[in-house]
Amino acid sequence: MYGKGLRPLSIATPVAFAITLALVFFYAPIEADQGFLQKIFYLHVPLAIVSLCGFVVGGIFAILHLRRDDPRYDAYSYVAIHISVIFAVGGLITGSIWAKGSWGHWWVWNEPTLVSFLIVFLLYATYYPFRYAIEDRQRQARYASVFAITAGAFVPLNFLAVRMSASLVHPRVFATAEGGLPGSMMLTFLCAIVSMALLWVTLVKFELSAKSAQGQLKRLRRALDAPTGPPTSRIAPEVH
Amino acid sequence: MATLFGWIVAAPAIPNDVGGKYVAGAYVVFVVLLLIYVGIMAAKLARIERGLGEVAEIAEQRKADAAGEEKPRAEVKS
Repeated sequence: MYGKGLRPLSIATPVAFAITLALVFFYAPIEADQGFLQKIFYLHVPLAIVSLCGFVVGGIFAILHLRRDDPRYDAYSYVAIHISVIFAVGGLITGSIWAKGSWGHWWVWNEPTLVSFLIVFLLYATYYPFRYAIEDRQRQARYASVFAITAGAFVPLNFLAVRMSASLVHPRVFATAEGGLPGSMMLTFLCAIVSMALLWVTLVKFELSAKSAQGQLKRLRRALDAPTGPPTSRIAPEVH
Repeated sequence: MATLFGWIVAAPAIPNDVGGKYVAGAYVVFVVLLLIYVGIMAAKLARIERGLGEVAEIAEQRKADAAGEEKPRAEVKS
């Protein structure tokens, strides 16, 4: 059930990435200020944006879980947050590399965009021990949903607060008085966002399929009264 | 095709200066992250496959046991 649409997604994602990489390296012009280094922008910003959107999506699934009391939505929420955390790690590392090349430092503590993203990442890093700490599955799912909703609401608030902050150290490429990105860069950037979003959806579906297979196997073992094996997915919600 | 060739000809080679090094580093980090994820998922799927094999073996064993029990009963009746 969860594997439905996985095959076209698995084809579309590498194709989209191939197109994006071709656009990044062969079509988008070299930026006047940062030069070739600006090419990191097409990787770092989509990673960060998709991870933040993924956190919000995780919160939306958590709302659905609490409203409908359907454990599937808890699994969706868990997997959305899980994949978004991985994307956020990518965003942090690539951002750090860009900062080193551009500003000469791996990290700048007085830059609100970086620090706020780190805060969001650390907030979601606590999601796992939070789930681990609760043994009862239903209580675990409910508490994790409350966490996902609260943290998911914090993400856009955090984003707005940073946008309104006065610092101009971190580049503001959209909707600035200077006119934002030129057309060719914007097209490349939009392709990069679409590719990254496709990758996120593919990985979420892949992870859900694996979890579903694991859940079905457990059910089969229970039906046969067979030993259930090591408790590998104790924290992760079961998907049937 | 001609447009693609034109793009490739006009494309800047990866500059071997500081910027090029960092750009390559960032893209390599992304690929490595993906590979780590795929590796973890492959291990997970291998575990599921192993589990399925065990369950199938148990099911087949039980079927064979049940068939073995049925046979002597049928022989006694006849």
